Amino acid sequence: MSGIKNWLAGTLQDPRRAPIFAGALVALTSLFQVLAPFNSLAFLLVIVSMLVVGKAATSKWVKLGLAVLVTLVVIPVAGRQNGALTYLCVQMFINIALALGLNLVVGFAGLLDLGYIAFFAGGAYVYSMFGSRQALEFMPESLQHLFPLGGWWFWAAIPIAIFVAAFLGLTLGLPVLRLRGDYLAIVTLGFGEIIAVLAKNLDHPINLTNGAGGIVGITPPSLFGYKLDTTLSFYFIGIVLAILTALAMYRLERSRTGRAWAAMREDEVAARAMGINLTKYKLMAFMAGAAFAGAMGMLFAVKQNFVSPDSFSFLESIGILAMVILGGLGSLEGAVVGAVAVTVLKLLILKDLADFLSMTVKLPPAFNIPQYQPLIFGLILIVMMIYRQQGLLPGRRPTEDIAQLETRTPKKNTTGKSVGA
Amino acid sequence: MSESLQILPQVLIDGLVVGALYAVVALGYTMVYGVLEFINFAHSEIFMFGAFIGAEVFLLFKPMTGVPHFVPLIIGLILSMVMAGALGWTVERIAYRPLRGAPRLVPLISAIGVSFFLQDIVRMVWTAIRGNWQLGTQDLYATGISFAGAQIQVRSVMIMGIAIVLMLSLSIFVNRSRTGKAMRAVAQDRATAALMGIDVNRIISITFLLGGALGGAAGALYTMQYTVVNPYIGFVMGIKAFTAAVFGGIGNITGAAVGGLCLGLFEALGSAYLGPLTGGVLIGSEYKDIIAFSLLILVLIFKPSGLLGETVGEKV
Amino acid sequence: MALLELQNVNTYYGAIHALKGIDLAVNKGEIVTLIGSNGAGKSTTLKTVSGLLSPKEGQVTFDGQRIDGTPAYKITEMGIAHVPEGRKIFPRLTVLENLEMGAFTISDPAVRQRNLERVYTLFPRLQERVHQKGGTLSGGEQQMLAIGRALMMSPKLLMLDEPSMGLAPLLVEQIFAIIRQLNEDGVTILLVEQNALMALEVAHRGYVIQTGTIALHDSAAALRENKSVREAYLGEL
Repeated sequence: MSGIKNWLAGTLQDPRRAPIFAGALVALTSLFQVLAPFNSLAFLLVIVSMLVVGKAATSKWVKLGLAVLVTLVVIPVAGRQNGALTYLCVQMFINIALALGLNLVVGFAGLLDLGYIAFFAGGAYVYSMFGSRQALEFMPESLQHLFPLGGWWFWAAIPIAIFVAAFLGLTLGLPVLRLRGDYLAIVTLGFGEIIAVLAKNLDHPINLTNGAGGIVGITPPSLFGYKLDTTLSFYFIGIVLAILTALAMYRLERSRTGRAWAAMREDEVAARAMGINLTKYKLMAFMAGAAFAGAMGMLFAVKQNFVSPDSFSFLESIGILAMVILGGLGSLEGAVVGAVAVTVLKLLILKDLADFLSMTVKLPPAFNIPQYQPLIFGLILIVMMIYRQQGLLPGRRPTEDIAQLETRTPKKNTTGKSVGA
Repeated sequence: MSESLQILPQVLIDGLVVGALYAVVALGYTMVYGVLEFINFAHSEIFMFGAFIGAEVFLLFKPMTGVPHFVPLIIGLILSMVMAGALGWTVERIAYRPLRGAPRLVPLISAIGVSFFLQDIVRMVWTAIRGNWQLGTQDLYATGISFAGAQIQVRSVMIMGIAIVLMLSLSIFVNRSRTGKAMRAVAQDRATAALMGIDVNRIISITFLLGGALGGAAGALYTMQYTVVNPYIGFVMGIKAFTAAVFGGIGNITGAAVGGLCLGLFEALGSAYLGPLTGGVLIGSEYKDIIAFSLLILVLIFKPSGLLGETVGEKV
Repeated sequence: MALLELQNVNTYYGAIHALKGIDLAVNKGEIVTLIGSNGAGKSTTLKTVSGLLSPKEGQVTFDGQRIDGTPAYKITEMGIAHVPEGRKIFPRLTVLENLEMGAFTISDPAVRQRNLERVYTLFPRLQERVHQKGGTLSGGEQQMLAIGRALMMSPKLLMLDEPSMGLAPLLVEQIFAIIRQLNEDGVTILLVEQNALMALEVAHRGYVIQTGTIALHDSAAALRENKSVREAYLGEL
């Protein structure tokens, strides 16, 4: 066993053997996936091969090429026969973006947000309310002919959803600024619940959300007259949004703001002493984190073609937290890997395990495995906290040596004024 | 308006009963927070577990019609206290003690994990043994008496009585007993308490044991009041009780009692009068939970030390 | 035989090597002082003895028994009282409750009562304020309470960490007079002080600690005359 491990490690570090090995591995698993689109094991192997590629000592162009091959060719081809696979991947991209967004708030800025799903709900509801016949319930009659909005509005609604979610982030952020970490966590939890209660009850006096029944028939996006209502089109929108989120996170982490967050996370008192305006940076963290969730909420709404308060429960917030914790707080790779792992676990492994068990040993209905998400999320949180607080892929804090910093002396703020005070 | 006033005594009684439950659960949060400055997020599930134990005991006695009601009540109360106390103790040993000294959010995240884990385990166990995770139990002391225009059930009076006894006993224990005093010393300065010869770990264990037992007792009383329990009763109760603890001043035992009763009254008044006050636009019972959440947020913003608490400002 | 003996004690704060092989002994009936500058390891030494920290290497013996690695509360039971730096009284307990906490390990009520009377005789001020909350006392009173609380456990060894810190000169005199009196009553004392002059006046022997190692040890009288000690710690040039 250790022989295989050593050989694998050696191969991955060898710049000549690594690309060949990685390419061969991806080719093999991809072939398997395309030939057996319904095989869950094949999909798991594809994911594992992508992880191996990530670890291989090879140029980023090779890695990128392989990633493009898998995401743009292999999955769509396999997905043509197995729609569930594409659907799973859409949810995976949504979760990746959500985990990255929550990682910004918790991992970068150190603010434990237990109501993160509220922002996701905000985005989902904003588009669903106007992009479905629900709008006829509450818009004045003179404007009703405009609704439901046409599919091209989806693109215009993205900035609106981002704005609404960021505004929600602001309304949450403002009151909780002075609170210490654990109190803040409880208040965000309360905030999430308030949003859920509102979604459930705002069907009267004016029917905004249609209450517990939820909103159905949400206009899918359209582009140049083409209706993008297939899972595959959501898949591509998902990839684009997830990549944009990841790029934004990468830039944010290395920005002046990112460094201010890091300082705040490590020691609020010291950060304040260094002239970091805590109010401003806490609000920015809440708003930025919320914004990404808002955009993904829209994609979620059109993918499901249905939104209801049930999709935005506390458990969902904890699910995203579990992704971030599993991967490693503050780590971008960690958030992505955590999101992939939890999504696959939730939507693939648990289902398959349940099917397998129900065929082999007749389990009583009490042991309906896919229902045990809370148990699994709970265990993930406990076990990770006790045994591996830094997560599976701990963040490599961007390190900068002094020489590098000196060549980048800031142009502004040379007068010694505090940062953004 | 006169109609509204007629229901006032009933509203107040209902508020006080629920408030007494909040208060007893709040004690568990406040004790642990006082000693460790840690929000025991899983306390709500320990309460829920206690409720299930109570329900099982009450059910056990349901066929025995000749047995007076105080027998299942006392056995149920004691058993749920013992079991829930043991669970609280175990959770601390497994999920919190290894994390002592870690950054604040680490044990909190572990506690959230424990909370979900316990919720699902209870669901699994009761689905397995009863075929359903919702458990209805027998009515205890369901007879009513009329008082000042309100229908008061005997059980409501008993719940309040038991809650008061529990709170007083805890208060006497903490203020008078050797262990109670050691608990206060540990809460104020752990290292110095150890220098006094106090086994700090033992005191922390006892704190979780007592907090769990109180949660369990509250669970049994909840079962008595509502007669139906499910694995999800802990979540809302937890938030409410935590709100009560913060409102009264976290770490303060009297504060928890006052906070619980106030919150219970606010909620009852809100559910009863929000509708009439807004001309029927908002239905009070639907927004009941928002009252607690909003109160929590407002208290934390404007008076984080609560009504009776000392300042909880960050040590610099 | 020494009442307390440290042999090659090495203590770490995480990665920081705070004590680098400390050898120190306190004989029964003595006042021994440990002097040194800020951050030299004085408090760390006391914490290592009382069990708040445990040494990675070396051994601590008290009354013929190994005590390194023993939890603090058990060491207290064995008869070591540690008055920590900054006094660390319980601010929300009354003076009486603070003193009672000191007698936590004493089960005999008669002994507790006797100790309480002794504390009141030594510090009449505490008796006047017996129902006041500890946090409302003045700095000097808090120091008296901290020492009184330690005496409540009938200690064989009393360790005092900077008892003069932050006190007015008159109070400092008083505290040192009490230290001398306690010693005459038979309490062995290990005294950590920055006020080296005063400490060397009451002590029988002294140790000088520098960056985690014992640089010097001698009788207090000899240390008072030592040139480098005078330069470094007694403020003479």
